Amino acid sequence: MDRQQIGLKLTVDGLNLPFQIDTFEDRLILQKAVYLAQAAGVNLGYYYHWYLHGPYSPSLTQDEYAIGYELSQDLDDSEGWKLDDESTGRLEKLKNLIPKSNRPELRRKLELLASVHFLINRRQVRQNDAREITETLKRFNKDFSEEEVQNALRELIDYGLLAA
Amino acid sequence: MVSSQHDDSAKHVVDSIHGNIHLKEREVKVIDTPSFQRLRQLKQLAMAQLVYPTATHTRFSHSIGALATMIRILGSAEENGIPFEPEEKENLRLAALLHDIGHYPYSHLMEKVDSIKLIEEEVEGAPPTAKAIDTTRSKYPEHEEVGELIVTGQDDLVKAIGGGERAKAVADIFTRSKAADAQLSKLIHSSFDIDRWDYLLRDSYATGVPYGHIDLNYLLNNLKVSPQKVVGFSDKALPAVEHFLLARFFMHRVVYYHKTIYGMEEACRQLLRRLRDRDGEHYGVPTDGEAVKNLVTSRDLRMFTDAFVDNIIQRAVDDEDSVVRALANSIQSRKPPVLLKKVLVCEETENQYHAGKWFIQNCKAKLRNLADEFQIPLQQFLLCEPKSTIVKRHKGPTFGQAAQMKPDQIKEKAFEEEGEDIKIFVGDDEEPTSLMDIEHSLVVKYANYFFQMFRLYVIYEGEDKEDVVTQLGDKVKSWDKAE
Repeated sequence: MDRQQIGLKLTVDGLNLPFQIDTFEDRLILQKAVYLAQAAGVNLGYYYHWYLHGPYSPSLTQDEYAIGYELSQDLDDSEGWKLDDESTGRLEKLKNLIPKSNRPELRRKLELLASVHFLINRRQVRQNDAREITETLKRFNKDFSEEEVQNALRELIDYGLLAA
Repeated sequence: MVSSQHDDSAKHVVDSIHGNIHLKEREVKVIDTPSFQRLRQLKQLAMAQLVYPTATHTRFSHSIGALATMIRILGSAEENGIPFEPEEKENLRLAALLHDIGHYPYSHLMEKVDSIKLIEEEVEGAPPTAKAIDTTRSKYPEHEEVGELIVTGQDDLVKAIGGGERAKAVADIFTRSKAADAQLSKLIHSSFDIDRWDYLLRDSYATGVPYGHIDLNYLLNNLKVSPQKVVGFSDKALPAVEHFLLARFFMHRVVYYHKTIYGMEEACRQLLRRLRDRDGEHYGVPTDGEAVKNLVTSRDLRMFTDAFVDNIIQRAVDDEDSVVRALANSIQSRKPPVLLKKVLVCEETENQYHAGKWFIQNCKAKLRNLADEFQIPLQQFLLCEPKSTIVKRHKGPTFGQAAQMKPDQIKEKAFEEEGEDIKIFVGDDEEPTSLMDIEHSLVVKYANYFFQMFRLYVIYEGEDKEDVVTQLGDKVKSWDKAE
């Protein structure tokens, strides 16, 4: 693992998520969780694009596979490494935003939070217009209601990921 | 060579790969900006010219080549009855032209400084303080993000593109931020990467290494766009597609991962990382991602060329730190790091035990003692492990499993990863299928394999260099075996 991959592994560990990449759902959960960690100030250096399921980083996917391969070989280069205290604290706080629910619910929640943040952060929509955000998501066949979008906006603000 | 379409063109340029490329007035204005002209000072292949003397081509020519490829893709889309609004088409062309505008000096070499591990962090016995990841420090942004900052933040480009709103629309395309149109998004993501089409041919032409000569014309002539705006190839072009994938693999093996080029570039990466992170003189190496962002949005962008790094190397040659001096001298005097041992591995991805794994483990366990024994600073040993595959198989349903899937299960497949997949139109099918699902494809059979080069270099320029290198080579020659 290179430094960026070690940082990634430690971040996923810090969020109490399993480093699981077997299914599309697994990979989506990791993509969106890392997106939110970066939005919270844990700088891992992954740049996200907009894909059909919201923010997505191809280089993160590559690193996920590289780490997954090493873990399958009983190698974990992140052992003995640690994140700085400030980032550890940020992940600790962010953990509360990640529901301890079943995987489909977790996926849905993370996809919504990350997508809403991305659209606002990249100036694709206005932050105060939940309807516009909902409509944009509908174009990508996402059935998030306006109420869910409003809740996501509130949570993103509460956790300091968006300015009030 | 082909001639790109030339309706209402303002100027044409002659290109060694694509022939005549007809440019529109706005594209000429963009090319004529100082921000775009900077690309003339960025070598496409970084340090490859130290081995292949004619590999001096630039991001500038590649960017115009990418535009030529986009023109052909748009032509093909229209032939397939996929209409574009004039502005949408113009923006796609500009996005192709500007897709590499954010590259760093020496490209990926500098961009990846944050990923570099230092040898003293890797070997056994490293102090815990060395094994700390500081994620509060902003990382160097990826070149696409830098590109967005330049396109929307440099006045010359904003003006040439036609204003801030238009500049953002163009940047949204090449950064793939655009969320307004799901169909357009699919077209961009599935367009088989205009980047690679051009660079394989251009790199091959410039280096004189023939492996990258893909059959671009045949690929382009067999390009199809589905009603869902997914780009793919007619199945009769399958051999050309497979050849493209093999060409990419061999260019990696022979050029991009060449032992001398890779060793020199690794020395430079290490040099930049060490200068950036130390308390003393940085010689202008940006200290973090914010410093990079400030630089590329200022007038200093014009100096952010290969010469920017050359100047750092030049100054570091006389540094007070002997490791910094050794790294800088190696590059400046073209005395490449000496390869002590290489372990080439071609294995199935699931294989848990191979020589490369033992080699890395032995290096981590024994390198510190070896460095002490020969009184060479540990930091002058470079451990590299570049890896490549012909085609990647993402975990997911196999061909047989997919055939059993229900439509709603198919929707659950990795759409995002499919964006990087190659699509083939089988027979008269309206929508294409993944190359990975073509059972008779030769390259798909290779998807279960990876190729990796494990290498240990040393930088040492003592008068007894020949003897020392021979002795070091003897010491490490059995490090690829389990003990």
